[in-house]
Amino acid sequence: MNSLIFLALAILMFITMVALAVATVISKDLIKSAILLAGVSLIASFLFVLMRAPDVAMAEASIGSALTAMIMVYAIGRTRRFEEGGEEK
Amino acid sequence: MMERSTIQRSLPALAISILIAGTLFLAFVEIGFGENKVDSEDAVANRYIANGTTETGSSNLVTSVVVNYRGFDTLGEVTVLFLAATGVGAMINLLPEDGKKRSKGPKPSLIMTQGGMLAIPVIALFGTYVFLHGHLSPGGGFQGGVIIATAFLLYLIAKPDAKTSHRTLSLSESLAGLSFIGIGLIGLAVSGIFLDNVIEGFGVLGELVSGGLLPLIYIAIGIKVGSEMSGLVEKMRGDAS
Amino acid sequence: MIAINEIIGMVLMAIGLLFQVLGAFGLIRLPDVYNRLQAATKSITLGAISIAIGVGVAEPTLLPKALIVAFFLLLTNPIISHGIARAAYRSGVPLWKGSVIDQYEKALERSGKGGDPQ
Repeated sequence: MNSLIFLALAILMFITMVALAVATVISKDLIKSAILLAGVSLIASFLFVLMRAPDVAMAEASIGSALTAMIMVYAIGRTRRFEEGGEEK
Repeated sequence: MMERSTIQRSLPALAISILIAGTLFLAFVEIGFGENKVDSEDAVANRYIANGTTETGSSNLVTSVVVNYRGFDTLGEVTVLFLAATGVGAMINLLPEDGKKRSKGPKPSLIMTQGGMLAIPVIALFGTYVFLHGHLSPGGGFQGGVIIATAFLLYLIAKPDAKTSHRTLSLSESLAGLSFIGIGLIGLAVSGIFLDNVIEGFGVLGELVSGGLLPLIYIAIGIKVGSEMSGLVEKMRGDAS
Repeated sequence: MIAINEIIGMVLMAIGLLFQVLGAFGLIRLPDVYNRLQAATKSITLGAISIAIGVGVAEPTLLPKALIVAFFLLLTNPIISHGIARAAYRSGVPLWKGSVIDQYEKALERSGKGGDPQ
């Protein structure tokens, strides 16, 4: 019963993760992409906890969803925010 | 016309992708994913699980593998991280200043600043806890160091005008890296093995002061990663004034 | 026979879950960023704290950790929401057309252009 709930949770998280990753790629607004990528990392760290790998989960949560997102936002601040054709009117 | 050029451009990319996918498939088809590799007799994981705690004095097996059995690889990993941070710094310094000043946003409000100042010590304490208890609980130098860098990031968000000393960061980073190699050389001098855990007995398993040299190595890694990542964030932010 | 602290813990967790669901519902239903932040802050902070304390009551060995988690949520969640709301307002996210009052704009005008009302 318990393992079944875990399996269902893991599959749900996996589907969400894939959806977020696809949204990251197709989004034209790069800041939105950075935030979605942070979401991917957050769900990945939940999955690592479910798979009994708390060490990796800790690294993934702090690197993936805090540092990477912020470094990307700083990098976008130094370049352009929108990809080609994504500029708001 | 537009359609055709897009297709022409994407055909080589598609071919390369299929080539890479095929190569990867050929490389990984031999590995049985989902196979239980631990239960076979000669698996190295069995040896770690059976002897890890007695041989290294650490109750966290991941730490005993990362810092003791594969300690030399960890030195390489730290070096890779250092090179990456240096590369980012060099690239930012090479970028030509485009003349126009980047628009500075409004200053953070009082709530943001004071709330950040309340949260930063808690986060930094948690990071220190994580790398001090690397041999007892999940976590370790890398994770703790990155959590400390997150606290530094929050400081830069709460006080964007704050003066930060890049020299101090790189000094602590170099000292931590040197002490990592120094601990490795102690092992080399005493027993002839680099990064050997030379302290007898390791203390009582599960206590804070145990595990011989493992906590010291993890403290060095934690300080190094923390100051490295903080330096990276500080460089990415650019000039405050 | 279920112990009394477990029952209290379950009730707290159920309350927390209810507030979490209401908060998620508000995120979908409410019209603009600022209204959604109301749901995301108040409802979800209360829900998360209630769940954390419920876990601590049901399992007394986890109580100190649960209290620390609850305190940290109470500290960070409102601050972050304040930051998001402020950043959204400063970068020009419009209010919902049915909004009746905008006190932050008045405060900005009173303190001069670009100044920070505090």
